Parts: sequence; structure tokens; C-alpha cells
Amino acid sequence: MALVKNKQIIQDSWHHLTAEQTSLANTIVSLDYWQQNKQALILSKQPFGLKVSGDLPAESFSEALKHVSLIAIEFPVFSDGRGYSLAKTLRDKYRFTKEIRAIGDVLPDQAFYLSRVGFDSLELKSDLSAKLAIEKLADFSVYYQKDSVSQ
Amino acid sequence: MYLYNELDQTLVNERVEQYRDQTKRFLNGELTEEQFRPLRLMNGLYIQTHAPMLRINIPYGLLSSKQLRMLAQISRQYDKDYVHFTTRQNVQFNWPALEQVPDILADLASVQMHSIQSSGNCIRNITSDPLAGVCADEIEDPRPYCEIIRQWSTLHPEFSYLPRKFKIAISGSPQDRAVTQVHDIGLHMKKDTDGNIGFEVLVGGGLGRTPVIGQTIADFIAEADILSYLDAILRTYNRYGRRDNKYKARIKILVRETGLEAFKAQVDAEWKDSKGGELTLDAAAIERVKAFFIAPNYSVSDDKQLNSDLEKSGAFRQWFKQNTREHKQTGYRVVSLSLKSPHRPPGDVTFDQLQLIANLADQYNLGQARSTHDQNLAFTDVKTEDLFSLWQQLNEHQLATANIGTITDMICCPGLDFCSLANASSIDIAQGITETFTDSAIETGSLKLKMSGCMNGCGHHSIGEIGILGVDKKGEQWYQLTLGGSDTHETKLGERLGRAIAKDDVISTVKDIVNTYKQHRNDDEKFATTFKRIGIQPFKDKVYGTR
Ligand code: SF4
Repeated sequence: MALVKNKQIIQDSWHHLTAEQTSLANTIVSLDYWQQNKQALILSKQPFGLKVSGDLPAESFSEALKHVSLIAIEFPVFSDGRGYSLAKTLRDKYRFTKEIRAIGDVLPDQAFYLSRVGFDSLELKSDLSAKLAIEKLADFSVYYQKDSVSQ
Repeated sequence: MYLYNELDQTLVNERVEQYRDQTKRFLNGELTEEQFRPLRLMNGLYIQTHAPMLRINIPYGLLSSKQLRMLAQISRQYDKDYVHFTTRQNVQFNWPALEQVPDILADLASVQMHSIQSSGNCIRNITSDPLAGVCADEIEDPRPYCEIIRQWSTLHPEFSYLPRKFKIAISGSPQDRAVTQVHDIGLHMKKDTDGNIGFEVLVGGGLGRTPVIGQTIADFIAEADILSYLDAILRTYNRYGRRDNKYKARIKILVRETGLEAFKAQVDAEWKDSKGGELTLDAAAIERVKAFFIAPNYSVSDDKQLNSDLEKSGAFRQWFKQNTREHKQTGYRVVSLSLKSPHRPPGDVTFDQLQLIANLADQYNLGQARSTHDQNLAFTDVKTEDLFSLWQQLNEHQLATANIGTITDMICCPGLDFCSLANASSIDIAQGITETFTDSAIETGSLKLKMSGCMNGCGHHSIGEIGILGVDKKGEQWYQLTLGGSDTHETKLGERLGRAIAKDDVISTVKDIVNTYKQHRNDDEKFATTFKRIGIQPFKDKVYGTR
């Protein structure tokens, strides 16, 4: 795995929840976990992230938005475009300003569109893919649509 | 006609380079076939039976003579000296080499053309009325809005991985010449009681295995709000459209399964948040695009020369009657260039013909031509005094077959000859029909025959007055016929004639159908009217009674 943010490959300061974990700081939890441990997560005052599948409607986890520091949207296959609309909805409708990360089946050739709908970090399969994704972010110097308001 | 500014040109140029790199990586093995597939598709490149097929957009059917010459040159340099015009006003090359496609795209970019989103699960080329701007019955010229929607939908970051392809057509006239009712979204230009411009919005139409006529989702959306409304429909579709089965992934299925009212409520909920926001079109933005489509300075002229020309030649008279139409300006006519001559498959145009058309466009039609949904071309601004010499030159190059709107002016997909999805051939059937009916086509009258080589329906068979669909029966080619469909403002699906017909019997069956119509018609009653009056039974009796 390699993480791209701000057009660079960076060290990931986040990790996914594991069974042995003691502290919840900078942990990305599942929707189930959030739903079952809401109070504990909020009271811990530690930054945490939420992993959601791209096909989820934003309504189903909108109450978490004011508590989380990161939303990781998972693409089951790269051709499933629902995650794009989800990110756009989080940015435009819910005014979510923190990190939105693309995870799962993410291809370098999608970096440009992903960044334009509001993703600010992309998890890619390898360093090679990540380097390519950074190149691909610069594929276009112009575009027609106006972009997400909060970018 | 719209002309690119620096932004448009940069975007298309950068797209060429992006695709060049993707092709290179695919050929190097850095991209798998599965990964490359959606990338090449979003650039119009299919893999067909013999070779790749490259589809080029002709935005709402408008072409300059310069672009025509470029298409000709590409057909010579990279293909086999011909191109094929499609039912969505686009053009296809049937024999390009995959590794040369980036060079073809660079050539196209030099004349402001591209293949962006001409296939793939994204918003396709915006189509429209080929008579936009020149027909007398127009409420408003749809072309500026086509261009605005073209720009908005091009390289759209959010809507490029939709459940399935998405087609939008716009008509500015009550007479629908863009088959808007069988598009994912059909837009009908309208004015409200105060004269404000807007659109009636239809949703969920489509052909293919489940043909559906689009339904009205909104009676009037003001021009300022059209993009935010389209955005709301697309987002609703992108979120809820089915992705589990590619045959159920079009928006028509979503609308049907959700119910129009519930779907409309979802769209409205989405729109509530975005209406009046960043996608709102201001008057200045609309005016800027409208400036590209102001009517030319028509000269004042009369039909004196034409009238004397008409006296001269019977063949010219016949062509004039069949292949030209009224123009809103006196002294001008709209001319159809028939791509349905007996000499080649429907919609095909050769290198020589393209060159000629470009020259004639410069000479007689303000340097422009248009493609139509029925796979012909049109010159929309020809002075009537020029018609005779235009006809002579078209005639010499087999572009003046006087058959527009008749049975030999059929729509036909490439079928088994090119398409890997086909069940049956369509080009040879088309040839047979042309041979059989060439002499009697005009006398038979207005009759729309449409033919597809498989259920995908690229040849629009479901809305043909006579529809022919290729089906596979244990490896043999059979044909399912339908009657009474319509592609007009009252679009209708045809009724099934009966069991499928063997290939050898298709032509004689069509003959039986035509004869039955002729036998029952009153005076010069059209096929559609006769069919409505007598129903399908007499046709069934004739066709199956003898078999
Ligand atoms: S209708 Fe079928 S055979 Fe004809 S072009 Fe379309 S997919 Fe191919």
C-alpha cells in the first residue's frame, strides 16, 4: 500500500482497527464499530476515522460526520462510481471539510477525477501505482465543471 | 457553429496525450486488458470482430468542411477509405489499428474534434435535431444548450463510472427529429407563459432489449436550472442505478423499478440542495454560447431559377420533392444527402464522397454539413437557385438517391459483418431490400424500416414502422419482425408480427407487408395511418397464411 496526499507519497498516520489494539487514536473503524461504540469513541476525544462502502447513502452515517477526522470510502471495484457521488455529497451537501480518502480498488488513472470530487488522499496498491497516480493528477490543466465548494 | 477557445483546445489536446500514455502502458503490459477496457471505451475504442472500431463524436451533428476533409484524410491514412455514420449522429472508423489511435485523435484534435465519451458507461455525445436553427416550427434553437451540456458533461469527474451508458437528446421543435423519447434523458425546449425559455424533461427512455418510451419527470425546468437538474438526475442514477446486472443497469430500469413518482421525489430531494448553486447558468453564459449560433445573413432571393430548373428534368424534380425540405427563409431549402444508395451499406461514405461533400459544403452551404439520426447528411442552408447544380454533382457521386423517408432510406446497424455481439447480418438484408424496392420506393411512400443485428437495438428496430431484429436460432440467422412503431414526437414501439422468419424469406416477407399496405391504403394514406386503421391482423394473415 502507498498513500498519496498533496501530490506526494506520504507515510500513513492512520491505521485500520485491529483486534489487539488498546488506544483508538488515529484508527479507522468500521460503520458497525462506530454504531456499537459511539459513546466510547466520542468520549475518548481521540481523532478517529470511519470506513464506509461507496454504495452507502451519506444519510446513513451523517451523524458521525461532526466527530470523525477522516472518512475512508471503499471502492469494491474501480468501475463502481458510487463513491464519487458519495464524496461529492459529503463535500457539497454536508460541508464535510476533513480528509476523504479513497481505498479499495483505486487505479492511478482515476486520481484526477477522484481529487476533483473531493478526495484528498488516495490509497494505492504499490509505490509504483502511487507515483503514477501523482503523474496522472497533472493530466489536465483545465476542465469545464466547477469543483467541490470546499476545496 | 461553436468554435473552440483556448480552454477547449487545451482540454482536447491533453486528452490525446493522456490516451497516448494509456495506450502505451497497455501495449507495454503495464495495464491489464480489464483495466484498459474502460479507459479505451471512454475514448470510443471498441474491439470488434475483425479490428477495433473507433467512434468519433459529432456534437449534435454539426460538421465543418474542414472536419469533413479530416475525416476523409483519416479514412485514407489509417482506415479503408470509408467511414460509417451512426444513429447518434456520430461517425465510426471500422479498421483503425489500436496503436495508431492516439495519432488519429491528435489529427482530430487539430480540427476541434474528439472521441471523448463516445462509448463507455458515461454521458455520451449530446444529439439534437438536424434541422435546428432552420426549421419553421422551432420554439428555440437547441444548439447553444447542446453545447452547454456538452461542456458540462465532458470529462465529468463524478459521472464517468455510471452503472451504464447515458444518452441525452434535445429537441427545439414540437416535431421531434432527434428521437428524444428513447433517450435516457430527452429535453424538449419550451417557453412558459411569460416567454421564459426552459425544458420539459423526459427520463428513462431507451431502446435495446427492454425498449421504453421516456416519461415526463418535469414539465418545465428554467434554462438557468437545467444543469443543476441534470446533475440531480445523474447523481440519483449513479447512486441507485443497478450494478448487479448489466442488462438492468440503464436508468429506464431504475425508473421502472422505483416508480416515476418515487424517482422524481429522489431527484427533487437531491435538487433541493443544489438548485441555485454553482451549476446555475447566468444569462451572460448562455448569450456567450448563443453568439456562435446566430442565423447567417440570408440573402433575399426567390425561386425563379428553381422553377425553371424543375421544368428541365424529371429526375431533378423527383429528387427535389423527396430529398429537400422547407426552410424558414424563402429562397432556401434544406437538402438531405442520402447515404442509402444501392451501392453501399446504409450510412457508409467513401473518401471521395467526403471530399466532394466538403467542397460542396463550401460552395453551397456556408462550409457546413450535419449528420442526422437516420444516418444521412444534410445541407441546411442551400439557395434554391443552386439546387440544380448541387443535385448534378451529388448525383454523379451517388449521393442523390431520391429516397429520403422511404423504405430504402432504412436505418441499419453493422450487424454480423462487423459487430461481435450480432446474431445475424443486417447489411445483406438491407441490400436485398434496396434491390427489391429501389424502383417502387417513392410510389410506396413514407415508410420507415429499421433493422438491428441483435437485441441491443442499435438499428432502432423497435421504433421502425417495419422493424427487423436478427435473432439466433441454434446457430442460424433468423429475423423477428415488428410493425407499426414510430420515431416521431409520438414515439411508439412496434407490435410483434409473429414467429421469426428464416433469412431466405425476409425479403419476400417485407414484400408481403408492403403489398398488404398498398392493398388497404386509401389514396395516398401513409403506412402509419393505414396500420392504425386496419391493425396487424391483415399483415399476419398475409405473411403466415402462406407459410
Ligand atoms: S444492434 Fe447488435 S449487432 Fe447491431 S451494432 Fe448493435 S450490438 Fe451490434
